[in-house]
Amino acid sequence: MARLVIMGGGVSGHTAASFARKWLGDEHEVVVVTPNSHWNWIPSNIWVGIGGMTKEEVTFPLAPVYEKAGIDFKQAKAVSIHPEGNADSDNAYITLEYTGQRKERQTEELTYDYLINATGPKLNFPATPGLADGHTVSVCTADHAVHANLELKQVFEKAKAGERQKILVGTGHGMCTCQGAAFEYIFNIEHEAKKAGVRNNIDIKWISNESFLGDFGIGGLHMKRGGYAASSRLFAESLYSERGIPWIIGAHVSKVEAGKAHYELLDGTTGVEEFDFAMLIPPFAGVGLKAFDKDGSDITDTIFAPNGFMKVDAKYDAGAYENWKASDWPRTYQNPTYSNMFACGIAFAPPHLISKPMSSVNGTPINPTPPRTGMPSGIIGKAVAHSVCDLIKEGEKAHLHEASMAEMGAACVASAGKGLTDGTAAALTVYPVVPDFEKYPGLGRDLDYTFGEIGLAGHWIKHILHHMFIYKAKLKPGWTLIPE
Amino acid sequence: MVQKLVIYPDDRVNCTSTDVRSFNQTLWDVITDMSDTMKAYDIEAMAAMQIAYPYNIILIKEGDSYQEYINPRIIQNHDTFDSEESSIYYPDVTVTVPRYSKIKLVYEDREGTVHYKDIDDPKLAATLQRKIDYTFGGNLLDRVDKNKRDKIIDAMAGKGLMPLADDVCPTFSNKDYIVSFTDKLLILMGLSLLTPLFHFEKETIETIYSVDKFLFPAIVVLMIAFFFYAQYEAKKYKQCSSCQIGNNIGVIVKRSVAAFAFALGAYFLVNPY
Repeated sequence: MARLVIMGGGVSGHTAASFARKWLGDEHEVVVVTPNSHWNWIPSNIWVGIGGMTKEEVTFPLAPVYEKAGIDFKQAKAVSIHPEGNADSDNAYITLEYTGQRKERQTEELTYDYLINATGPKLNFPATPGLADGHTVSVCTADHAVHANLELKQVFEKAKAGERQKILVGTGHGMCTCQGAAFEYIFNIEHEAKKAGVRNNIDIKWISNESFLGDFGIGGLHMKRGGYAASSRLFAESLYSERGIPWIIGAHVSKVEAGKAHYELLDGTTGVEEFDFAMLIPPFAGVGLKAFDKDGSDITDTIFAPNGFMKVDAKYDAGAYENWKASDWPRTYQNPTYSNMFACGIAFAPPHLISKPMSSVNGTPINPTPPRTGMPSGIIGKAVAHSVCDLIKEGEKAHLHEASMAEMGAACVASAGKGLTDGTAAALTVYPVVPDFEKYPGLGRDLDYTFGEIGLAGHWIKHILHHMFIYKAKLKPGWTLIPE
Repeated sequence: MVQKLVIYPDDRVNCTSTDVRSFNQTLWDVITDMSDTMKAYDIEAMAAMQIAYPYNIILIKEGDSYQEYINPRIIQNHDTFDSEESSIYYPDVTVTVPRYSKIKLVYEDREGTVHYKDIDDPKLAATLQRKIDYTFGGNLLDRVDKNKRDKIIDAMAGKGLMPLADDVCPTFSNKDYIVSFTDKLLILMGLSLLTPLFHFEKETIETIYSVDKFLFPAIVVLMIAFFFYAQYEAKKYKQCSSCQIGNNIGVIVKRSVAAFAFALGAYFLVNPY
């Protein structure tokens, strides 16, 4: 009997665990270690953040789902990895610290035959001074989104009472990803402000580290026109102008104080933006797992990249921008040092950016980091689970399954306002996520798989996807038929 | 070498240009082709895509030299103004588009060195914005409203007049309220014709017929009001085809005929007397 331990129960980890359980059969053990008691469909958090959904609608408890599926669930956070065991045993293990199940703060050693790291990111608020001090809100977790909504409603109340309010939404650091979530949130706020009749009393502004609007961390998406594809910049600029939202781009938020966001721009100049309400996405980092070898020496640097994400089969020494290739991106997500260890979702270390690297004249990097969320996250989780299952069943010579982001498309449905009859969302597809300049000279993307449209139908799709993915995550009958 | 210009309806202009990654002879050859073509056609500004090179390169003629902007991005913008623009991609088209009068650019030179530049001259700022749109697969018609864009495209296909740069055709006008209200009254009249299908009291039928008797003249009055208001509005929008008298008369005749037919139907089908 083999034991597969999955650290993390988000989109990628949950997908990996569900498929591993299905494919492995009862003779092998699947254990999920995650500090959260609930699963969260993160893309819908933006609707919680405007009061359009409750926390309960975007989350569900994991324990009953895992109990039914036969997955061992430990509500705990992984603390360290010991891939070679310790002085007493050669069995690889992780240490964990419980956060629930009435065992809070208890620690445990959990041995594994295979390990999947799907811990997701640490929301690195302290990277920007003041960002962790409660002056701003976030929609990164369901609880954050609930809080954001409470604060937002207060701003609406003040606006209703005639007090002019300033709202700032975007990224809280020069190295953030997840511009898409902020994009959705700002347009949902704008939509709600209009519905509440307070739009005229609220100034809404966008701030982000993108070098052009609509970059989204992947060098932009594309809207097909004729036989060619125009950039999402045109669509984004039209949308921001149409909704009366001015923007600051190429910005690194360097410090946050009560009601003030200090920022540095690409040209090295600095500025201050005042706000009554701000939702600034924090940068992501690895969750801070440590790794030790058999004699207890720290090997964290061997297993993890400096940003804390796990090294996998990527080319980390690709060098300058002009040398970047699609083949730099990982295919199997296997750790190069320990072949029984994989990483998926946000937890793997990308080889480099996808967008054009930019930095200010002062040397501050100001560019979006690569997103590994949503659809790619699920697909990678499934591929990694497949590889591990084959390794367990067929032995070490089993073929590893591949899911390179340079050979993978992604569909993005970005909400721009919630409402059954007046909602809007932009539906965009991109293939591949990471441009392949050798295969698709010029843009690096295959225009046959490019699509872009904004409208009410997009909102309905987003809403349907919300229910479909929660249904799938609850492992209800037919869940495998719903794609990642 | 002078290259062929990409001119409408060649839709390669819709292709997003890729950022230049290697600053080598290939790039310099493209720049030379761009400047040769600009000289040959006496063009002041060009994006590489306008001679079918999908690279993020812009050349602006400044005096006798050509300023090169590689991978330009607008990182700051201030103050909008109405810029009257034309483009070699759409010959004979002049439109007024909103542009920023001051912008700040970050760009690279032919060696890959990063530069920043404040552009305070509104004309140059507008030119750069127009050319940067080309590098992202856009053109100046993306900056005008859809109604006007469609009219220009139709005009280029020989199906109508080319709109003037400052002419605006409204997508919705107040006269549409009159038409919408009239249509609702017509629906009521139409529904009243179903009266014989139900076994209403005589009193109810009398009421329905009285409503019909009121609706018919009301619709006629509304159409007369529509005619005068539409004529007043048409004076404001000279080139708006939906504002022309022919269209307005069509709207009036269609509804008047329908009202008359419903009134006649009511006289024979609903009339309790």
